[in-house]
Amino acid sequence: MIDLSRAGTIELPDGAGSAGGGRCDDRVRFTLRLEGARLAEVRFGADACASTTAAAAWLAEAAEGRELLDAARLGLADVLAGTTIDSPECALTAVDALHAALGDAVVRGASLAADSHRVGIAMSGGVDSAMVLTGAVEEGHEAVGLTLRLWIDPSAPNPERACCAPSAVRAARDLCHAKGMPHFMLDLREDFRAAVVEPFVAGYAAGETPNPCATCNGSFRFDAIDAVASRLGCSEWRTGHYARLVERDGALLVARGADPDKDQSAMLALVDPAILARVRLPLGERIKRDVVAEAETKGLAAAKTPESQEVCFLGGGELAPFLERQGVELVPGPIVDEEGVELGTHHGAVAFTPGQRRGLGVSRGTDALHVLKVDAPANTVVVATLERLGRREVELRDVRLRVPCDRVGASFRVRAEPIPAAFEAHADGTATLLLDRDAFQVAPGQVAALYDGDCIVAAGVVAG
Amino acid sequence: MIYLDHAATSPPDPAVVTKMLPFLTGRFGNPSEPHALGRQARADLDEARAGIAAALGAQADDVILTGGGTEADNIAVLGRCQGEPGRIVISALEHPAVTRAAESLAARGWTVAIAPVLADGQLDVMALGELVRPGDALACVMAASNVTGVIQPLAEAAAICAHSDVPLHIDAVQAAAGMDLDVGLLPGDVTLAVAAHKLGGPRGVGAVVGPGVRTLEPINHGGGQERGLRSGTENLAGAVALAEALRIRQGDDAPAERERRAALRDDLEQRLALPVAGGAAQRLPGHALLLTAYRGDTVVRLLDERDIAVSAGSACASGDPQPDPVLGAMGIDQTFARGAVRVTLGPTTTPEEIDALVAAWAEIEQGLDAAREASA
Repeated sequence: MIDLSRAGTIELPDGAGSAGGGRCDDRVRFTLRLEGARLAEVRFGADACASTTAAAAWLAEAAEGRELLDAARLGLADVLAGTTIDSPECALTAVDALHAALGDAVVRGASLAADSHRVGIAMSGGVDSAMVLTGAVEEGHEAVGLTLRLWIDPSAPNPERACCAPSAVRAARDLCHAKGMPHFMLDLREDFRAAVVEPFVAGYAAGETPNPCATCNGSFRFDAIDAVASRLGCSEWRTGHYARLVERDGALLVARGADPDKDQSAMLALVDPAILARVRLPLGERIKRDVVAEAETKGLAAAKTPESQEVCFLGGGELAPFLERQGVELVPGPIVDEEGVELGTHHGAVAFTPGQRRGLGVSRGTDALHVLKVDAPANTVVVATLERLGRREVELRDVRLRVPCDRVGASFRVRAEPIPAAFEAHADGTATLLLDRDAFQVAPGQVAALYDGDCIVAAGVVAG
Repeated sequence: MIYLDHAATSPPDPAVVTKMLPFLTGRFGNPSEPHALGRQARADLDEARAGIAAALGAQADDVILTGGGTEADNIAVLGRCQGEPGRIVISALEHPAVTRAAESLAARGWTVAIAPVLADGQLDVMALGELVRPGDALACVMAASNVTGVIQPLAEAAAICAHSDVPLHIDAVQAAAGMDLDVGLLPGDVTLAVAAHKLGGPRGVGAVVGPGVRTLEPINHGGGQERGLRSGTENLAGAVALAEALRIRQGDDAPAERERRAALRDDLEQRLALPVAGGAAQRLPGHALLLTAYRGDTVVRLLDERDIAVSAGSACASGDPQPDPVLGAMGIDQTFARGAVRVTLGPTTTPEEIDALVAAWAEIEQGLDAAREASA
């Protein structure tokens, strides 16, 4: 029976969320009122087919009166068990909308008493976080799945490849629900745009090569999940990055993961040490291959989902069209050598990265030419032979020094072989690196992860 | 259960069931056999055929019994188009039994022209006149829309077709329960399709009727029954049932019953005060297509939960709700088209049932409004 008695809207709700508007134009919206951590009132709106409406009405009834964490355990399977529905696909719209409202309640500040038993799990919907979840559950924890919804670009060539695609959010939720655990989707798209995407786009527009992954992990994603996990009363939270945490001289340092092919330590170079104290990295000692194999034996469907990639918000596409979609105007201009001799034309200087060879389409004799420099104000790409790209001295800004050091291994790209260097930090937050040998693909905006052995002892952003 | 979905299928009429029962028990003979049981069956079949013919103004020889309405339409459409690809004209109102048959012809190289419908739900006869050309293999015009119930200008359509010497097929499967049909009054090579289950009879029996059957070619092959157009041992019980159902629904008492039904329908529409598709045109007496601001299938489910059976104007089978193309052709806004709810009354419908629907509607309308307003 579709119970329409909870149809309506709560004025000034503690949480609100919508879903739908796709092909069949079904629309569902939930509003919630909290009394402490209990959903005192749940109201729904539906302009939708019978299956969606029935699911929304049932969820409103089922969620009302529950504790926030218990409401976050409600999923499609509950709807299908609780009501008669012709089309599970339609019911998903209602489940999405309820979870959007629950996540919104958390983003708006709903908080739970601390529980030493409870851990947060940062979940992307992929195999790694699925295994982290499973591990926490097997240890007997109450594992709370946390998935950030950061970016939707429907015009990307393959929006499902983005790490927070709707299907990835649903996969993460389904995994939690299959284990009887709560899941929260936290919609931080506006914040993410402001904190990560806009600086990325602005960096490129200025001729830099920003590293959005380090920014995202370093100051956005970790901050957000840490704040939410604390608010939900989690004693710690876990993520499936292939990196380790090592204590040295009283400082907690990010160190390389045991799997050299999957090491993600550089992505965590900028994470605040205070946050690291609350984070666990259960896959740091694992080999990815073994994790995938174990996931398959455990029947985790996520083992088969494609891995999201670096710069996930490009959605499987090229940089240039993405920049254009974000409003960066790409204007054709000259490709010149160091003497200023014009060798050809580019389609927009800012879409090029120092060191890049592909897509230039110019030559000088038999020399292979690479981008030496992007002169954004002049819309000019300067090219040179590889040996001219080499540099020994690199200035850093926004330097984070974890432990004192004067010799480091400098890595400018994830999993790049570190180059031994002398390191000198300055009082104004800048530093100078003197490399023992040439680095060829160093570009302003990149994050430099500075290792001592396997540990990241400092990090900074390439200034020039 | 309050059944207000008579256009989908009708409850069995006790008189029809009584008439049919002996043929499902002792009188089971095959009309093609020369023994006594066979001869009796032949005589009974002839009588049923004569009854069907009389009810529809046709000659007994021009009645082809079929396995239902869809088969009747297929025999009448495809049986006209067995030769080299040519051209046919169909109205934009046709049931899938006709449109899908036409599509199968189009896939074989035939040209299918569609005659448009006017905003009031009636075929645009002027357009039909311009579309139908001498040499066309066939034109198809529904007697009354199964979606809106709007009665179509059959006399004009038949005159147009006869003028160009183009055979006309009339799908009267929906109409036979609610309007007089007399194929004898129509000029030209006319065929007309009916089905028993819309008339208080059983599923699985129908007929193609009219002088046009004489020039049809068979689309299936076998023992040569039914002028060779519908081979297979005759469904005698079904034929008897169809004859009895038509005798009742097309008989002398039918107009009074239809008037009573129309009055109940008008009362319902007035009390619900919803827009009605084709409301300005002449419609089948028990037929109302209500245009609600909600989703049709949601309304259907809510009424079903209150033991009232009605039907949605559009089906959402694959997550892609397609409003009925007839409503699109009438220029009805998609929001209303997807909210269409078809309420169809029958001879058994009572005023109390209408009261119950009005009461149930009042009960769900407020909740539906609240849900819709809160969805944005």
